[in-house]
Amino acid sequence: MNSKTFHQETINKILAADNEISDEVNVRSASAPFQAEFPYERDSEAQVTRREFCNFLFLTSSALFLGAAGFAGKSAYDARSPKTFTPAKIDGAMTIEPGSALNFAYPSEEDTAILIRGTDGTYAAFGQKCTHLSCPVYYSQANDRLECPCHNGGFSSKTGEVLCPPPRPLDRIELRRSMVRFCSQKRGAWQ
Amino acid sequence: MKDNAKPRRPQSRGLAAVWQARLAMLVMINVAQLWILSAAVEAALAQSYGQLAPLVIASGICWLIALSIFLWWRPAGEGGRRY
Repeated sequence: MNSKTFHQETINKILAADNEISDEVNVRSASAPFQAEFPYERDSEAQVTRREFCNFLFLTSSALFLGAAGFAGKSAYDARSPKTFTPAKIDGAMTIEPGSALNFAYPSEEDTAILIRGTDGTYAAFGQKCTHLSCPVYYSQANDRLECPCHNGGFSSKTGEVLCPPPRPLDRIELRRSMVRFCSQKRGAWQ
Repeated sequence: MKDNAKPRRPQSRGLAAVWQARLAMLVMINVAQLWILSAAVEAALAQSYGQLAPLVIASGICWLIALSIFLWWRPAGEGGRRY
């Protein structure tokens, strides 16, 4: 049976059923072709009872609770897992021009960081995650600062201090010549 | 009290209202939990881990309220009727 025949049969079936529903004959006749394409019976629509909807809402509540608990648990676990900060070389660090930046990863491949060479030739490195919502920050040469595009956050390109909205400074990475070593996010820890 | 002294009204009277009320409360709880979940995501991304525990507790309280609505807050005269 091809689909055209099937549709016609469905239309006939719907029209035949309309004889028993006198007050909807015109509406059903007019919409019969559409009902063939989207065969959703009105009686079937009423099958979702309030009781079932209540059950669905309770399940949704359970899922939201489990989601919040799971997400918090995962975050807390990740935060407590110890990280090792092995000195690592930043490829291309010595070749970047003053007033430009270079992205690298430290201490792991998932932890993106940014190395900045200021216009005065000094180097500074920070974790690239904004402390507001973890968006990646970038170096704005025009403003000589690190900027977050998500909510217009700004950080000093020299110290990582907050210039506007985010709650705390960027993670800082201590540099030693061409080697990097993670310091900490406390501002006093810079050496 | 004699039988004919009881008020004559259908047993289903008021049940729909109770079910509507349950639905409304569950919907509000769901909305609150959605907000809590989004706040938890935001706190985790900002590494504000101190905020996570209160948010999870709040979500748990919402869930307990939903559970109590689901299990116990039923119409007093409800039989096996489906609405």
